[in-house]
Amino acid sequence: MVERLMESRLSLILRIGVAASAALMAIGLALNLMTGDASYPTGILSVEWILFGDPFLEPSHILFMGFMILLATPVTRIVYSAASFIIRRDYVYATLTSLVLLVLIFSFTMGIRG
Amino acid sequence: MTPEYILFSFIISVFSGGAGALLGLGGGVFLVPLLVYTLGVPMHLAAGASILAVIATSSAAAANYVDEELTNIRLGMFLELATTLGAVTGAFLAFASGDDLLQGIFGASLLYASASMFFQMKRTGLAWIPKRNDGIAERLRLSGGYHDKATGENVAYGVDKSPILLGVSYIAGIISGLLGIGGGAIKVPAMNILGGVPMKAAVATSNFMVGVTAAASAMVYIRYGHCDAFITGPVIFGTLIGASIAARYTNRINGSTIKILFIAVLAFIGVKMILTGVGIW
Repeated sequence: MVERLMESRLSLILRIGVAASAALMAIGLALNLMTGDASYPTGILSVEWILFGDPFLEPSHILFMGFMILLATPVTRIVYSAASFIIRRDYVYATLTSLVLLVLIFSFTMGIRG
Repeated sequence: MTPEYILFSFIISVFSGGAGALLGLGGGVFLVPLLVYTLGVPMHLAAGASILAVIATSSAAAANYVDEELTNIRLGMFLELATTLGAVTGAFLAFASGDDLLQGIFGASLLYASASMFFQMKRTGLAWIPKRNDGIAERLRLSGGYHDKATGENVAYGVDKSPILLGVSYIAGIISGLLGIGGGAIKVPAMNILGGVPMKAAVATSNFMVGVTAAASAMVYIRYGHCDAFITGPVIFGTLIGASIAARYTNRINGSTIKILFIAVLAFIGVKMILTGVGIW
């Protein structure tokens, strides 16, 4: 029963993540085409620009946020799983999922630092 | 970027998202060559679009597979650790080495996996040979079950040879970090043949994992400037739609049908990679 609850929440997280990223991408792309936003003409994603970019909430930025939410969706699912295993005192799986999370964080920092 | 371009890349992505979700491959193996050969997208940008598309396929399809209990979450979490570790290892090596020889070797192992699936199926007439939990699988409660909508039966299964599955997942992670593909192509046959996991559960569990593996390498691709928002945008939309539709039908299709499709696709990828490895394709 507990397992079933976790499954339905996991599935909900994935649905929300997918829907939110699709919505942001759609809005960003549409605004981009309408306004001819030139704040980021090449389109190549850059982490610095997304995090520290000047044109906050410009069309391209909204589009890029969509990508970031897409990327964050599997990570969120891992965070949720780890948390729920910890709460249920299922320490073997809590350790397993936390380690996966650590590897992900490591690979993200590696990606950001280059 | 013309409207025709957007339309074609959208159609390609619906197909690769759907096929990726149905076969647990993520869809990169279809997407990259289609973008490169039919639309002339540069290889590195196609690979960058593909890594994000795999996350889209995985998340969109997993929402459904988890709901239908096709995904074995415990098995997924167990193997995920090895795969993500492998992906990081692979990403370290990826931008350093030439990989033609590796393509060839990996192609040969896919061909081998495809052949063993084929002959096992031919010999026994079964798409899935039930096995019992081994010691580790028993301790980690890896056994699973689901309601098969194609046959109307409730299927329960154990997981055998879990240490070998862990090793294979690590290698699969390295390969996918190195070549950008390969995660699902090697984990599905391993789970099905070695582990005794039914085809649909293997596909759904692999699909669950490929999103995390892709996420582990995605930041590196972004860092190297391989993700173009205007190429990737339409691809993501198509992929999400294709994967959501396919995931709704997977459980209604017979496990053996999925397996035959998988064997064919795996053989094709294997041959293509061998040809790339020896420099013909």
